[in-house]
Amino acid sequence: MSTIQVRRFAISDSPWPWLFPLVALLMVFTIYPLIYNIWLSFHEFLPRKRTLAFVGFSNWIQLWNDTRFWGALGVTFIYFIIALTCEIVLGMAIALLLDAELPGFGVLRAVLSMTLVIPPAIAGMMFLLMEDPQFGVITYFLNELGLLAKGTPILSTSSLALAGVMVAEIWQWTPFMVLIFLAGLRALPAEPYEAAMIDGASAVQMFRRLTLPMMSRVIAVAVLLRGIDLFRVFDYVFVMTSGGPGTATYTLSLYAWQQTFSNLKWGYGATLSLVSLAIIMVLANLFIKLFKVRW
Amino acid sequence: MATVEYKSIGKSFGAFNIMRDISFQIADRQFVVLLGPSGCGKTTLLRMTAGLESVSEGDLMISGRRVNDVHPRDRDIAMVFQNYALYPTMKVYENIAFSLEVAKRPAAEIKQRVERAAEILNLTPYLQRYPKELSGGQRQRVAMGRAMVREAAVFLFDEPLSNLDAKLRAHMRTEIRQLHNRLGTTTIYVTHDQIEAMTMADTIVVMRAGKIEQIGSPDDVYDRPASKYVADFIGGSAINFLSGVVVADQGGPAADTKAGRIKLDPALTARPGQRVICGLRPTDVTVDPEGLIAARSMLVERMGHDAQLCCEGPEGQFLAIIDKAARFEAGAEVRFAIAPEKVHVFDAESESRL
Repeated sequence: MSTIQVRRFAISDSPWPWLFPLVALLMVFTIYPLIYNIWLSFHEFLPRKRTLAFVGFSNWIQLWNDTRFWGALGVTFIYFIIALTCEIVLGMAIALLLDAELPGFGVLRAVLSMTLVIPPAIAGMMFLLMEDPQFGVITYFLNELGLLAKGTPILSTSSLALAGVMVAEIWQWTPFMVLIFLAGLRALPAEPYEAAMIDGASAVQMFRRLTLPMMSRVIAVAVLLRGIDLFRVFDYVFVMTSGGPGTATYTLSLYAWQQTFSNLKWGYGATLSLVSLAIIMVLANLFIKLFKVRW
Repeated sequence: MATVEYKSIGKSFGAFNIMRDISFQIADRQFVVLLGPSGCGKTTLLRMTAGLESVSEGDLMISGRRVNDVHPRDRDIAMVFQNYALYPTMKVYENIAFSLEVAKRPAAEIKQRVERAAEILNLTPYLQRYPKELSGGQRQRVAMGRAMVREAAVFLFDEPLSNLDAKLRAHMRTEIRQLHNRLGTTTIYVTHDQIEAMTMADTIVVMRAGKIEQIGSPDDVYDRPASKYVADFIGGSAINFLSGVVVADQGGPAADTKAGRIKLDPALTARPGQRVICGLRPTDVTVDPEGLIAARSMLVERMGHDAQLCCEGPEGQFLAIIDKAARFEAGAEVRFAIAPEKVHVFDAESESRL
């Protein structure tokens, strides 16, 4: 005998008629473009003839042999891993500090969420100016601290450019993590902590043995949301470096965009975007399985 | 060897004073129950003892050491919480072992102590389960196990049985008391259930609105309640109160009430004309056609081994425990008698015992 499934909002016994508009929209705007994209990856646009020609697997073979693709994939992974790690660690640290009912903390939490209101492209522009070698405030402080030689352009130095872009990303999205983690922390029961205090646990032991396990689902959802977002990074790189210097900050999305819209290689662009979709899907599902995330 | 001593303890939340001048001592190996209705301050006093709540005034001594500012982990106490406060992401074994693990005890010792506690509490088959996979009674026992392995000097219980059903509660009551007899750990137990207090305690501390109303053995508080409040709170069936005026009767004092004349204990120091409240326990009154107390019978409630006769008295309900074979017609007048020394007499003004 199966138990009756609880549905928090049920108008009728069958959900399908009510889901029809959504399914229709998904078909038109998600499923159809996806199928078209797959079809497109076996074709190539011929600008002179203004037609699409069938090219078989040649786009896929080209991709396999394309060093720029592998380079972009590497940059994307580095960006994804470092930015995600920083956002989780910083987000959790700030959330733990803000998890108290002290005067002024409500204001702090509100101020913190303000970075999320700024469009990412604008945030990118802000950091582009702040990292300017002549008058940028970040450059100035790094110079004063002796961490950066005077006159070094952060965003035009291959070894520094990616870090320069990531700063904007981390600045803007750490508060998002803080808000999610705070919501999770505030929902935790107080009693186990009181018991742990009596049991003699230190702050670090309580964090490791109580907070982290009890927060695992919240953390997993946050990682998934941010992870997917990070993997398709486009706006910051586009605005701040356009992939340069050289290909130092060329990410997969940027490369696919460039192939499609600058070089008008629609078929190859479609192939590139399909690969990023596949990677995101595999990673996300692996993560869901591994950390037992329940949706 | 552990004693607990409260010296003029007070507690305030901001400008709001909820407890003042609590002073009493708990001897080594004693089982003390803090009893009172919700909001009387008993849980706050326990949490202050545990160090989960700060002490606003006075000195809190454990084994002769002032612990007001000592961290909970350094007070040598163990606590069982009302909703158990188990660690939800740890298995039963880890829950019980946690305090030993954070104290960095050797693994072999931890294993041995956890297994011994599990054996005593019949938890051995459940050691690899998570708390959410256990029943209320099992969770309760895990909470006990967690307290036991610490081998603390003082056990603190915060209404540990209030979430269990009646039968299990009675069973756990016996178990906790037996455990105390076996381990001999000084215990402070908070409850609002007077049956728990009566059955388990060496000493009962009856609290009311942040103050101590009476301290005594279960027999003391039952047989000689210090105030009308204590008399009302302790006892299975609600005690009957009749207000009256003291008069001199032949052979000793008596009280004239609306229900009739009640003879009082000759040893009682009450002056004629004094306004008093007489407390008559339903178990002490007997149905007696010659009796001086009158009430109108309403209903007989059968309770299995005996029955409770509910009557309409001059001051509201009047209860008596009667033989279950007795029959009463609704609306008929019933007369009751009571031995003079069984009558609890309180001053009508101060409501304290005369």
